[in-house]
Amino acid sequence: MKRKALKVGLTVLMLVLALGGLLYSALSEGTEYYAHVDEILADPGRWQGKDLQLHGFVVKDSVLRKRDSLEYRFKVQSRGAVLEATYDGIVPDTFTDECEVVLKGRLRDGEFHVAPNGVMAKCPSKYEAKRGLARPGA
Amino acid sequence: MASLGSFLLMAAFVAAACAVAASLSGARRGSRRLVESAVGAFYLTAALMTAASAVIVRAFLTDDYAIKYVHRYSDHLQPLFYKLTSYWGGLDGSIMFWVFLLAVFGSLAVRVNRDRHRELVPYVVAIVSAVEMFFLLMMLVHSNPFDTYLVQSPDDGQGLNPLLQNMYMVVHPPSLYIGFVGMTIPYAFGMAALITGRLDDAWLRAVRRWTMVSWLFLTLGLVLGMIWAYEELGWGGYWAWDPVENAGLLPWFTASAFLHSVIVQERRGMLKVWNVSLVVLTFFLTIFGTFMTRSGVVQSVHAFGEDRTLAWMFAVFMAALLLFSFAWILRRLPLLRPRYELESWLSREAAFVANNWILLVAALLVLFGTMFPTLSEALTGNRLTVGPPFFNRWMAPLGLLLLALTGAAPLLAWRRSTPLNLRDQFLWPVAFALAVSAGLAAFGVRVWTSLICFGLSAFVAATIVQEFVRGAKVRRQATGTDLLTAAVGLVARQRRRYGGYIVHLGIVLMFIGFAGEGFKRDEQALVKLGQQTTIHGVTLRNDGVAVTDDGQKQMVTGQIAISENGRSLGTLRPARWFYRKHENQPTTEVAIRRSLARDLYVIMPAYDLSDQSVSLQVVVNPLVNWIWTGFGILFLGTVIALLPEREQAAAAVVPAAER
Repeated sequence: MKRKALKVGLTVLMLVLALGGLLYSALSEGTEYYAHVDEILADPGRWQGKDLQLHGFVVKDSVLRKRDSLEYRFKVQSRGAVLEATYDGIVPDTFTDECEVVLKGRLRDGEFHVAPNGVMAKCPSKYEAKRGLARPGA
Repeated sequence: MASLGSFLLMAAFVAAACAVAASLSGARRGSRRLVESAVGAFYLTAALMTAASAVIVRAFLTDDYAIKYVHRYSDHLQPLFYKLTSYWGGLDGSIMFWVFLLAVFGSLAVRVNRDRHRELVPYVVAIVSAVEMFFLLMMLVHSNPFDTYLVQSPDDGQGLNPLLQNMYMVVHPPSLYIGFVGMTIPYAFGMAALITGRLDDAWLRAVRRWTMVSWLFLTLGLVLGMIWAYEELGWGGYWAWDPVENAGLLPWFTASAFLHSVIVQERRGMLKVWNVSLVVLTFFLTIFGTFMTRSGVVQSVHAFGEDRTLAWMFAVFMAALLLFSFAWILRRLPLLRPRYELESWLSREAAFVANNWILLVAALLVLFGTMFPTLSEALTGNRLTVGPPFFNRWMAPLGLLLLALTGAAPLLAWRRSTPLNLRDQFLWPVAFALAVSAGLAAFGVRVWTSLICFGLSAFVAATIVQEFVRGAKVRRQATGTDLLTAAVGLVARQRRRYGGYIVHLGIVLMFIGFAGEGFKRDEQALVKLGQQTTIHGVTLRNDGVAVTDDGQKQMVTGQIAISENGRSLGTLRPARWFYRKHENQPTTEVAIRRSLARDLYVIMPAYDLSDQSVSLQVVVNPLVNWIWTGFGILFLGTVIALLPEREQAAAAVVPAAER
């Protein structure tokens, strides 16, 4: 019985260690901060250059696309705070005026630079998302 | 009609409550009449839910926009078919659909097992009814699909989201729900066995098929979701580790683990606590997945909005469920002692245990990654997220380990393997795997994860072929036919075992498809009218943009002629569709040229009608079709394994591996 208890104890210990290591590795790399536009603009210095997932809403009539390209400029806002964003690539079908977006990228010089495939959008006014709608960030 | 619907839901709630009360008191007093009446109330719940479903479907068919739910998810232009399937298009209706399925499945399960497992029936009825009550209560107090507009009803509905208007979206949610809901039945039987203390293998036999069918539908649901994402969303992939996808995957892991460990309990009387825990866990994860995506606990652009009331209701239900289940497991621990202990790590039961651990760790990892933002916010105040790289990094090695075990486990003997039978069993498969890996490496495959995956796939395929050949040889001697007939006879005689191997073969093909992801290429180009561009050896020429209209939507279609090495491969037609009422949200229609080696996947994200120029995204997706093919084989294998087996006949022919 004692040997068995030891075995079980060792197994549990190893699992805890594995989970701890996992937590550590997950925290040290590959994580992104998730924040809203107003939070970021309250203290831009703190967020400068960090990997971010920015949550906000696309400002109406702010989406501009450069002719013959997939370069976008648009504004995102939350609770009145507005931030200018740039993106080069394909936007999902759900990316439209006033839609809710999560943008992956970095804050640089007061502008938000969206990473490739970093636009995720949903439009709650039109539908409730079901089963992984909108384009997931690949 | 709406009030009739609400009334039916209330009546169903009362009937379910009656079923719980009558079955519990009937079981305690040993009164057959009370239990019979409980079963009656149980069937009645199913009948009432069927009627309620008929009411909502009728409301959709007759365009009854006074009902908010119908107004939100339908309009008069919608084709008949989508009007029907709008039933599960939104939150409220999908919960109702859930209860409907649960009531029908529960009734079926009770009907089938009424005589064979008479002692378990009252508790099965009580537990399934209690779960029904929870969801019915949620509908009645919180999200009733029969809610109406009080003042004036609108003239037309808002229409089902265009992205949901396709075949996969019609089949995918119900399939996933059948998988989810079906897992309640094994749970109910497991709990009934614990409560009654009848912990022999009878309850396992009662639920084995249910679990397999539910597992099959869960797998089908997941795969359909992948196909839908691949063909409809137009981002070039099929899986993104989104919380909503993960919610479906979590119970799949534990259910797969259960399907394997149950064999060990049947053969060796081991892992009893483990099996009943897996059943509890699987059921818990189906509820947890629903909670995660519906309550806003996990923030995702894909999840439903934040909803505190719903979150609380779920939290209380889940806590009660865990407490109740594990309290009973603890209480019955003395009855759950294993018949044998593990003798050697080189045995089949050990391989099954390892398989179970890996599947469980995979489930924990996915759960951890999905809940990470919520956890980190609670611990540090900062909401941190992990993305697909995190999942891919951890799931790839786990998947490869699992694949290796898929091949190794059937080669190991029960109890312990001797060095001699190890050599006998592993020699050819390992040699074949090494040869394939070396060949591929020489051929220039340099993506290591994929290379290992191909090697392991070769190993597993070889073990399966070896099992078939050896079994067929034994059978040929016994029956005196040729090898092929013997192999077919083998499958027919031992459906579960050889059906299982066929499932494994399907899994192998799917893994080969996943490994193809390592060679994915993705490029964008702007092409003017009449001009062409070459991407990875494929030439694409812009032959213009056409605009058409079918009454429901306006379609802008690019005509892209493709050719490779001067040979024409035809025309691909990527498009943008603008549905009425959803004009500012056009859908991307992907054009795919499929082949076994690779998919050529073309999207037209932007175009200019004035000069007919188009922006194109071209994704080269190698081996994707192996995934869908693999699933087809998996489906076939599961169906074979599900067919009833003639027990004595199976015992007559013992294949080589079981000596």
